[in-house]
Amino acid sequence: MMPAIKAAGLVKSFGHGQRALDDVSLHVYSGEVLVVMGPSGSGKSTLIRTFNGLESIDEGHLEVLGIPLDADHDERQIRRVRRRVGMVFQQFNLFPHLSILDNITLAPIRVQRRPRKEAENRAIELLTQMGIAEQASKYPAQLSGGQQQRVAITRALALNPEVMLFDEPTSALDPERVKEVLDAMRSLAKDGMTMVVVTHEMGFAREVADRVLFMDEGRVVEVSQPDQLDKSKRWQRMASWGGQH
Amino acid sequence: MQPGPSAFKRLKRQLLANPLDGLITVVVLALLGWATISTLHWLVFGADWRVVSQNLPLYAFGSYPADQRWRPFLWIALLITLTLLTLLGPSRGWIRKALPLVWIAMVPCGVVLLAGGFGLLPIPSHAWGGLTLTLLLTACSGVLALPLGILLALGRQTSLAIIQRSCAVYIDVMRAVPLIAVLFFGQLLIPLFLPMHLELNRVLRAVLAFALFLAAYIAEDVRGGLQAIPRTQREAAAVLGLSPQQTLWLVVLPQAMRTALPALTNQAVGLLQNTSLMAILGLVELLGISLSLLANPDFIGRYLEVYIWLAGVYWLVCTAMALLARHLEHQLSPQTSAN
Ligand SMILES: Nc1ncnc2c1ncn2[C@@H]1O[C@H](COP(=O)(O)OP(=O)(O)OP(=O)(O)O)[C@@H](O)[C@H]1O
Ligand SMILES: [Mg+2]
Repeated sequence: MMPAIKAAGLVKSFGHGQRALDDVSLHVYSGEVLVVMGPSGSGKSTLIRTFNGLESIDEGHLEVLGIPLDADHDERQIRRVRRRVGMVFQQFNLFPHLSILDNITLAPIRVQRRPRKEAENRAIELLTQMGIAEQASKYPAQLSGGQQQRVAITRALALNPEVMLFDEPTSALDPERVKEVLDAMRSLAKDGMTMVVVTHEMGFAREVADRVLFMDEGRVVEVSQPDQLDKSKRWQRMASWGGQH
Repeated sequence: MQPGPSAFKRLKRQLLANPLDGLITVVVLALLGWATISTLHWLVFGADWRVVSQNLPLYAFGSYPADQRWRPFLWIALLITLTLLTLLGPSRGWIRKALPLVWIAMVPCGVVLLAGGFGLLPIPSHAWGGLTLTLLLTACSGVLALPLGILLALGRQTSLAIIQRSCAVYIDVMRAVPLIAVLFFGQLLIPLFLPMHLELNRVLRAVLAFALFLAAYIAEDVRGGLQAIPRTQREAAAVLGLSPQQTLWLVVLPQAMRTALPALTNQAVGLLQNTSLMAILGLVELLGISLSLLANPDFIGRYLEVYIWLAGVYWLVCTAMALLARHLEHQLSPQTSAN
């Protein structure tokens, strides 16, 4: 298997003080689902955001889909990466002034220069798979959180990315809405998408992940296969906090 | 909110709670009644409305040549039609889609109709006047000031220190100077910056001065709108591969302008009212024409009638503008109405 993301010795600090990333090395293989877990402030978001250039690294080597994103990368490299890597945020970050359909077709039309008709057909097709095709002409504020997050996933998928990054995609959702988003991610994983998922959803990690990575204070402290999770001290501690199985 | 006796009781409780409140209520009511009666008395028996009724064309068109008055008339008629169409017309379809463009086209259309050219007899700008000139000053200054203000607001946010500083200084200086001073400077200074042979007429100088002044205020309103947009919106756009320019045009500015719209409406209404300052500089817009009528021996002393009439006209136009603006706000914010 080819690594889609190669990271070696990543270091990142914000201004002064503690390092948000401290010597992080990992590979994410093509078609793999990597789940990242860890306490608040452990650097999960920072790590995943370096993978598409939202944060730049201070030291180390980072290569995404063969494109280097080292400390001295330039804007063009970042844009090349972003065209092939999709990202879903905790707060959805849909564009409130655009309809659902326009949210999804904006980048295909403006970035990939696809004809509007074609982009819209593709968007409807994806929305249908997500089970929200009837929402296409509404605006984000008219949708529930779960629906908005599925639109956000659709928006990322519309660019046919090779890697998808998820930063706590279900943390802002009502408990009864979590499942619909996890189901969408599950079917994405089944289709062989390369995914890096920051989440606290233990059930999802156990069931869908190929590997689970634990972070603490900017370091990778443990990497486990899903079937070894029950032996992991950190996993047991998470479960005892009222883990969501 | 409650009907009948309970509302009456509440009134009674609020207005007649104790002897002092009762006394105040009685005195205020008496004053109001007296003012109303004497106003009505003056309106019916005292006022002489001929200063208005005999000069309607002057109020509308100033001293525009009589045989050419159909031109400003046509422009104002178009504006009224467009206003009605916007407020009451169909809510979808091609007419609705064409409206924004037609509104923008009204500005050059008005200039050409008034100034002439393209086969129309040229009319020099000193013959323009009345409501027509008021509307033209407002429309032209507004249309120039808006993009300028947006550029200033963006300039103030760039990382380029020189641009950022100069935009900030420009905005601060303009906001520290009274409008009337800017207008005087405009009349005196703008000619100095221009090549000798290019002489700008007074109306154009006024429009430029107005636009330069207003742009500073618009910039601040737009900056408020820009700051209201969370950083995550830019991140979401960047992650989709949009360039910084595309992010600005497609994601940031549309949202910022929407947020700034109520403030911008205030600016537009204020602009219309402030065009009356041009009367001091000798332009015969609505106020200017009224002042010259008052100087006419036939109508000497008819201040009250003229100013009441003026207030009515300004009120009508400002109300129309406010309605249009509210309509625009409504059109632009379907996303805030959760279903
Ligand atoms: N933009 C920033 N400026 C300054 N410090 C930051 C910034 N972003 C993150 N940090 C710091 O970096 C560290 C790691 O933050 P990060 O957001 O990556 O943690 P996290 O694991 O995603 O936490 P959470 O579970 O709360 O989202 C924290 O100490 C945080 O305060
Ligand atoms: Mg985080």
